[in-house]
Amino acid sequence: MRLIATIAWRNLFRHKGKSLIIGAILFLGALLMTAGNGVISGMDAGLQRNIVEGFCGDALLVSDQQESDNVFLEMMGKPVAPINNYKAIDSALHGMPAVAKWLPMGKNFVLALNEDGGMADGLFALGVDYDRYRAFFGDNLRLVQGAFPQQGGPFVLIPTGWRKQMGEFYGVLYTPEGQPPDTATLSPAIRKRLSEMSLRQSAVYMGMNADNSTTDVRVPVKAVVKYRSLNTIWGNFPIIDIESYRQCLGYFSAAAQTATVKQSNLDLFAASDASLDDLFGATDLVASHGGGRPAAVLGAGSLAGGREMARPAVDLDAGTYNMVLLRLRGSRVLDQAVRSLNRELEARRLGVRAVTWKKATGMIGSMAVLIKGALFVFVSFLFLIAIIIIINTLSMAAIERTPEIGMMRAVGARKGFIRWMFTAETGVLAAVFGGAGIVAGVAAVEVVATLRITSENDMVQLLFGGDTFRPLLTAPDIVLAVLQLALVTLLAVIYPLRVAGNITPLDAVSRD
Amino acid sequence: MNIIETTGLVKDYPLGKTTVHAVRGIDLAIAKGDILSIIGPSGSGKTTLLNLIGCIDTPTAGRVKIGDTDVTALDDRRVTDLRLHRIGFIFQTFNLIPVLTALENVEFPMLLMKHHSRAEIRRRAQQLLEDVGLAEYVQHRPAELSGGQRQRVAIARALVTDPDIVLADEPTANLDSVTGASILDAMREMNAKQQTTFIFSTHDANVLKYAKNIVKIKDGLIAREA
Repeated sequence: MRLIATIAWRNLFRHKGKSLIIGAILFLGALLMTAGNGVISGMDAGLQRNIVEGFCGDALLVSDQQESDNVFLEMMGKPVAPINNYKAIDSALHGMPAVAKWLPMGKNFVLALNEDGGMADGLFALGVDYDRYRAFFGDNLRLVQGAFPQQGGPFVLIPTGWRKQMGEFYGVLYTPEGQPPDTATLSPAIRKRLSEMSLRQSAVYMGMNADNSTTDVRVPVKAVVKYRSLNTIWGNFPIIDIESYRQCLGYFSAAAQTATVKQSNLDLFAASDASLDDLFGATDLVASHGGGRPAAVLGAGSLAGGREMARPAVDLDAGTYNMVLLRLRGSRVLDQAVRSLNRELEARRLGVRAVTWKKATGMIGSMAVLIKGALFVFVSFLFLIAIIIIINTLSMAAIERTPEIGMMRAVGARKGFIRWMFTAETGVLAAVFGGAGIVAGVAAVEVVATLRITSENDMVQLLFGGDTFRPLLTAPDIVLAVLQLALVTLLAVIYPLRVAGNITPLDAVSRD
Repeated sequence: MNIIETTGLVKDYPLGKTTVHAVRGIDLAIAKGDILSIIGPSGSGKTTLLNLIGCIDTPTAGRVKIGDTDVTALDDRRVTDLRLHRIGFIFQTFNLIPVLTALENVEFPMLLMKHHSRAEIRRRAQQLLEDVGLAEYVQHRPAELSGGQRQRVAIARALVTDPDIVLADEPTANLDSVTGASILDAMREMNAKQQTTFIFSTHDANVLKYAKNIVKIKDGLIAREA
């Protein structure tokens, strides 16, 4: 082995030109691969950080009746099944040490009605209690204009993305109550047509739930906001107070519960179509609701009157939600933690299940995997080219060294010795130049990370995994780079080994 | 006792649509301790015969026996081992491993054998280089040696494994007469000491005076033995 290593090492210097060509290819390949892994890992970590910390938590609870786990970004906005037993869930979560904090929330597809008679625009509305939302997410929203809600009451926080869409496509410009448009925050296209814009300080939403309810509700615009990261994606998720949201979706609101509606009527209201059919003919179907009326009806009235509803003090948790966002404790692998949580939820028969943020956000959650796959294909293509060049260079080197190799074979070197010698030469090149490429890649990632490159461009933010470009290399990434380099070296050396191993003493004599 | 026997040895080379009959049926018996010179004009088949005897080439027909072993029946691995353990080669030009020093070149076959300690290998290689007059050049690489010095390193390497047979193809072709004579003297001395069988192919009349036996080849056949 020492003999092989000696010959291999000295041959690298003897054939400097070829060594440098192969070395340069391996260096560049390893550098690109390592830096690429760093970008992808950074994007993955950034997406995770920004989605988990700024939009939906580590995991969320959805109703067992909910078909798809992709509750946030399912195409065509299929309704998310309601959760009517949040109080029981809340009580159970208090007894689950793996769950650090949680936030009940409504989320569904709604239509933003155009009061000028134009087309309605569809979007996903989030219904929350703002104080709890703020406590859960901190400062994930950046104020563009207006003020965050300070006390209860109806509100909508309109993201800049949706404001821009409504302005540019429908000629409707939303501004916070009592404030003129802040032109500095408007897109050039809207600024140009500002005088033609229909200014609105409240929005009218019509819910689209599973029962095809068409309840609508007017809510005052309190602020125009921007999600701190990934605003392009979340720009179609305005945040509405939970009571207005419930009215809009035709859900039972907390106010309705306060109005002492009979439980049988609440059940009837919340029941699915199939369940409703079952209820026809039941004797208590026409029983009095005790003077209370569903808030959805109140909501309908609010559109006609264009005024805010006066609300009694209510227990918000008595009403309907669609999901409960969770932040989990500890450093367990998320899938394992969620599996464990689901076992516990099943045992408690709460009618909900936990899904990870990746599943809940569909394509966005898988973005890192998709881009990683794309980069892998790109790097594989580069390596394919590199492998072809290395194969060609090494094969030529083997043929040029026919006299030397043939002589070695003549004096007693087996084919295996020649193959090991070639493998060692390529291995040393891979270790030295490829290793240097990996080190340079790690250094490049570290340097770029310290530059804290930021972007306001939403697509770039998606690639950054947030507003700041933070490439990141973990130990597994570096191990992966080393393995990829080893694989490339192995693939590149197979054919030249065959060429070198098949050189016979006679080839050397014939050439001589 | 014969150390080499060839029987009905034939070697044909296809050359386009024709076939070159390089060796056309040679029966030869070479005794242990012989110094045999194979002579003949260019293209007569000397080198081909040497290659067949040295297991570098395989015959189209016929047999080659080294000692009791029919080498034509062996696979590549066994033939390689046979070359390592029983045959030493001195080639005309492609002689040494360029990246190894003279000493390392001589050690090379012994290192492949894996039977000896590093110290033993080093001692023996140094001794052989001294014997061929290169004690001062042990750390020189081939590019730093003259043609004659390289050839002497090759002789030391051919002998380092104590082979039964040394095959030398035009061993003095690239040497001046004085150097050539000194090398041939060294070979004769080793033949005398160790009963090593030497087989030369040569054009050089000076080599003939060292030979105990001579075989003349013409058109792939033995024309005369002496």
